[in-house]
Amino acid sequence: MAELDANLVAPTRLKLLTTLTAVSEAEFCTIRDTLHVSDSVLSKHLAALENVGYLQRRKGVDRGRRTTWISLTLGGRKALSAHVAVLRALISAVE
Amino acid sequence: MWKVGSMLSNMESTPEHPTAAEASAALSDAEASRAALAHRLATPSWFFTSMGAAIAAQIATSAVGFATGALWALAAGLAAFAAVAAVQLARFRRLNGVWLGGLASRVVLGTGTAASASYAIALGAAIWAAYEAQWWLVALGSIVGGAAYALSGRRWMRAYRARPAVHGRAESAAWLAVVGVAAIAGLALLLIKA
Repeated sequence: MAELDANLVAPTRLKLLTTLTAVSEAEFCTIRDTLHVSDSVLSKHLAALENVGYLQRRKGVDRGRRTTWISLTLGGRKALSAHVAVLRALISAVE
Repeated sequence: MWKVGSMLSNMESTPEHPTAAEASAALSDAEASRAALAHRLATPSWFFTSMGAAIAAQIATSAVGFATGALWALAAGLAAFAAVAAVQLARFRRLNGVWLGGLASRVVLGTGTAASASYAIALGAAIWAAYEAQWWLVALGSIVGGAAYALSGRRWMRAYRARPAVHGRAESAAWLAVVGVAAIAGLALLLIKA
């Protein structure tokens, strides 16, 4: 049986990647408010997932305010699909 | 400093081998989060109405342009549509803090099946009516085409909210290239015949 992705076992990371599948790109504040986490917690998870190539960040400017835009990479999308498949197999095994 | 780092690392400590109940809860939570974002996304005021009006104007100016040889009218209609599309997409992005490729391609650029089919039929009918000098039919075809475009956009938004992961992504670059080439070829053919 395939293993869970160690980078996605934290619930916030699973929520983060799953939420990003709904959009092409999202601003940092939008994701923070959707996940109900603090700036520091989100930044920590973003850095970890960016390091393994699951998402990418880019800087922008909106009316003089610096913004950070986050998007899922193809690798991140594949990793999420594989992780979710393992979770579903785990659930179906006991049903 | 080490205390803060320790607190952060412990905030999400989860077992590497969750139970079925934990796995189910994690999945449900993640899907609820995605659904919450999709349902929170709002279109700016007059979004669909302005897109429908811009398409109606573009159909009418194209029909008049082809039938009378006034290519400036055709260009003006395309420019007006491009301006409305750019402004509305920028407003959507600023309002929601997201970029939604599916909305840009299927709703605004009309690559969705309903939008592209209704547009093609309305444009064809309006051009035919313009060549026959049936100007009231040109106006009717343009209005119907614009209304269908706006309604198909609203329909797409409902489908997106129901299944955001399926509908949120834009068409592939290859498909957009095919559509773009087909549109340019069709335009060139009409210009040659005009």
